[in-house]
Amino acid sequence: MGLLFLYSASQENVETIVKQSLFVVFGLILMFILSQIEPDFYKNNALLFLIISIALILLTMAFGKEVNGAKRWLDLGFFTLQSSEIVKITLPVFLAAYLYNKPLPISLLNTFISMIVIIIIVNLVRIQPDLGTSLVIFIAGLYILFLAGLSWRFIGASFTILILSIPFIWNNFLEPFQRQRILTLLDPTADPYGSGWNITQSKIAIGSGGIQGKGYGSGSQAHLNFLPETETDFIFAVIAEEFGFIGACILMFTFFFIILRCFYLAVNARDRFCRLTIGGLSLLFISTIFINLAMVVGIIPVVGMPLPFISKGGSSLLSFYIAFGIIISMATHKKLMQK
Amino acid sequence: MIDLKERSKEKKNFSNRLTLVYLFFGILFSFFIYKTFSLQVSDYTEYEIASLQNKTREILIQPRRGIIYDRNGEIIVNNNPKYNLILNPSKIKDIEEHLSEIAEIINLSEKDILFVKENFKNKAKLNREIVLKQNLSQEEIAKFEARRYRFPSTFIGERYSRENTYSELFSHSIGYVGGMSDQNIDQILKDQDLNLGETIFKYSNGFIVGKTGIEKVYDKRLRGYFGKKIYEVDASGKLLNELEEIPAKDGEDLYTSLDLKSQKVAYKQLNNRRGAVVAVEIDTGAIVTYVSSPSFPINAIANGLSSDEFNQLTNDKNKPFFDRAGQGRYSPASTIKPAIGLYGIENKIIDWKYTIDDPGFFVLPEDNRVYRGWKEGGHGKIDLMNAIIESSNTFFFSLAYKSEIDDLVDHLSYFGFGRNVCIDCFIPDNGLLPNPEWKINKLNFGWFKGDTVNMGVGQGYLSATPIQLAYYSAFLAKKGNLDRFSFIQNTNSAKKDIFISNNIKDEDWENIHKSMIGVIENPKGTARRLRNLKNYTVAAKSGTVELVSTETKEDYQTIREVEDQRDHAIIIAFAPIPNPKYAISVVIENGESGGSVAGPVAIEVLNSLIKNE
Repeated sequence: MGLLFLYSASQENVETIVKQSLFVVFGLILMFILSQIEPDFYKNNALLFLIISIALILLTMAFGKEVNGAKRWLDLGFFTLQSSEIVKITLPVFLAAYLYNKPLPISLLNTFISMIVIIIIVNLVRIQPDLGTSLVIFIAGLYILFLAGLSWRFIGASFTILILSIPFIWNNFLEPFQRQRILTLLDPTADPYGSGWNITQSKIAIGSGGIQGKGYGSGSQAHLNFLPETETDFIFAVIAEEFGFIGACILMFTFFFIILRCFYLAVNARDRFCRLTIGGLSLLFISTIFINLAMVVGIIPVVGMPLPFISKGGSSLLSFYIAFGIIISMATHKKLMQK
Repeated sequence: MIDLKERSKEKKNFSNRLTLVYLFFGILFSFFIYKTFSLQVSDYTEYEIASLQNKTREILIQPRRGIIYDRNGEIIVNNNPKYNLILNPSKIKDIEEHLSEIAEIINLSEKDILFVKENFKNKAKLNREIVLKQNLSQEEIAKFEARRYRFPSTFIGERYSRENTYSELFSHSIGYVGGMSDQNIDQILKDQDLNLGETIFKYSNGFIVGKTGIEKVYDKRLRGYFGKKIYEVDASGKLLNELEEIPAKDGEDLYTSLDLKSQKVAYKQLNNRRGAVVAVEIDTGAIVTYVSSPSFPINAIANGLSSDEFNQLTNDKNKPFFDRAGQGRYSPASTIKPAIGLYGIENKIIDWKYTIDDPGFFVLPEDNRVYRGWKEGGHGKIDLMNAIIESSNTFFFSLAYKSEIDDLVDHLSYFGFGRNVCIDCFIPDNGLLPNPEWKINKLNFGWFKGDTVNMGVGQGYLSATPIQLAYYSAFLAKKGNLDRFSFIQNTNSAKKDIFISNNIKDEDWENIHKSMIGVIENPKGTARRLRNLKNYTVAAKSGTVELVSTETKEDYQTIREVEDQRDHAIIIAFAPIPNPKYAISVVIENGESGGSVAGPVAIEVLNSLIKNE
């Protein structure tokens, strides 16, 4: 389904499709292999994986390819790896492995150790800069902490601090273009041909799709270049334009059922590590989807977030195949442990 | 290890927390469905339109302006094609090579090449045409056409240039076209439910609008309606394919009442002297001749004139731009006498048998001021008919002396003085028909009896334009029942002016005609020299406008030395008698004698009108 959408979104670019197909095949194989591995393997080697992925990030920073002023990609010869996509998976797995045997509620010390790991990694990604992914990684880390039983008192306290520090973050951590994006969100009509262009055109694309859509390959917004980033960030707008409300609903409900299934698997997982991992990874999946959708319909600023399994981009695709490989592994190796 | 109790507690805690997060996303999910629904279903129309506006672009097509004809179907103003060499940049890969190949057959100026090079990239990106060279010669066209297979992306395009067939004949009557202000175009397009935008021009000088004369007055009719081409475009504005074309509706052609032949004769007769000729068809009020002299080259004005040339024209002391026929104010002088005579008849002050003794001057009883006639010793015993034929001033001084100024003003107004007599003239001037109220307001002086006496011979404050004089002439010919003048044949909107009089009978009109015939035919007539210039009967009245009043012959000779102080020559006439078809007025500034200077011009123009039939 994803390939089909991408074909239209990439304006019938066959090369893109072939490349993406290779990733899909590769991803499926990877997912199958990962699903055959014992969950304990992940648990025991979580730290190692994390160290490897951090090393990849550092390598990227040193030797990475610079695209549009951002150093996110590591050229591996056969394909360019976006290293932040890998740490997106290894961090939650590590945290789950770290916290699974800690007593409830999670002690302040463990919370701090976890937070420090999260913050270091998030900042490594943020300075690439890749605000979207760093945000997702941050959220993914917090999910694990939360699901593992972070004390409500700590949550309350952190939340208060966060609210209070918004002006500080605004002034010190955000790049000017990021601030502009947030302002644009509040009023996209203020500058419809400049910073408001993407959101305005995206809304037009979705809105003009109507109930039935304009038909596959006939989305004028996408095909006449009004819509930006049709292959990645704004692919949902292309789908909504060409397949209408019906198509958009089918896609959203497909995601919805995958997510619901994950909920069932998480709640019924064989042990705490698996619970935390499935819960964390599935929430990561949901968050990515919702950040993308919210961006496309203009609820949150444009952050650069692909739609899982649909958007072009090998790293993102592979990272989710890896995530689901791990989830499947944990779901299928259940009985084995209970004997 | 955590014990079992602890483990179930943990499991429950986990489930609760996961449920909480899922609930949060559940709500978000519903919100997304709602948001998508509102975009795609509730607000569909709005976004559908936005999407359509995004991907289509309207390009206006300029209509062709109507052609202007004379009354015999001769073209006066035409749209003459000029040929431009045009490139289609999006189909050209190497512009340098392309240009050098074209340069082998057609001479290209540095400026043309530079312009193309500068604009090539952008035009190619947008898929727009670019003009390489304007106004190709016949030779260049032939050369290119023979090799056009080599240049599939280049073609010869046609653009009009609006040109008057006769450079100076119709400068004041037809007028010219020129560029438009943005505001002006905007308004015109709004009237046609269009918005200003990219335009495919049919004229090399872009948007054009009538600036003066008939081009201005009938602009809306000549203009036509813009069409449009609707293209599919991408986000950069590149034209992809044409979706629809609504063709432009060309402007209506205009058949004027102007007569080319008489126009030529009038222009030639005036021979660059300062003056004007206006002739009309009496039955319809259609203007057949309308010349103001000196004239100016109309096409040069319409299609761009260097500022030096323009300054030369505006600084010319003969004022070629000034439309003397419609706006020049001249005292009617003696030509007013038939109207004054009719005033006397109407008000029973005199009849055709009434005579006075003309000693050559009139003494105003109030202050003993002397008003002189042109003939020393006077005309002796004289009646109205002979007073007109010989142009006795004394007769009309004394008649005017006996009239009421307000009645006289009303009377003259019927004859076209002091009012607009033309329904489609460009900025008509009403001349001046003075009355006591005007004088006190304007000059802060009361009305003297002497002012009325002066009006009796068409001098003083009274002034009229040549077109008003032509109207006056036609009004006399038509015996007080006349259509207002127009440049268009058979206009329905023509307005009739009818002179309702109780005391003027048909025989009075006949007698006026007779006296005016006598002006030429009678041996004592002031324009008797015209007798042999034509082979039909003409009724006329000449006039000589005194610019400086003189007391003695010596004084008069002195002012003759200075051209600007010489008298204006005026004549009004209508012919052929007994069924007059054309009326005419001729003014020649500083021409001195109405009968012998303006007269021959009038006769030659009448000849050209009458002999043609």
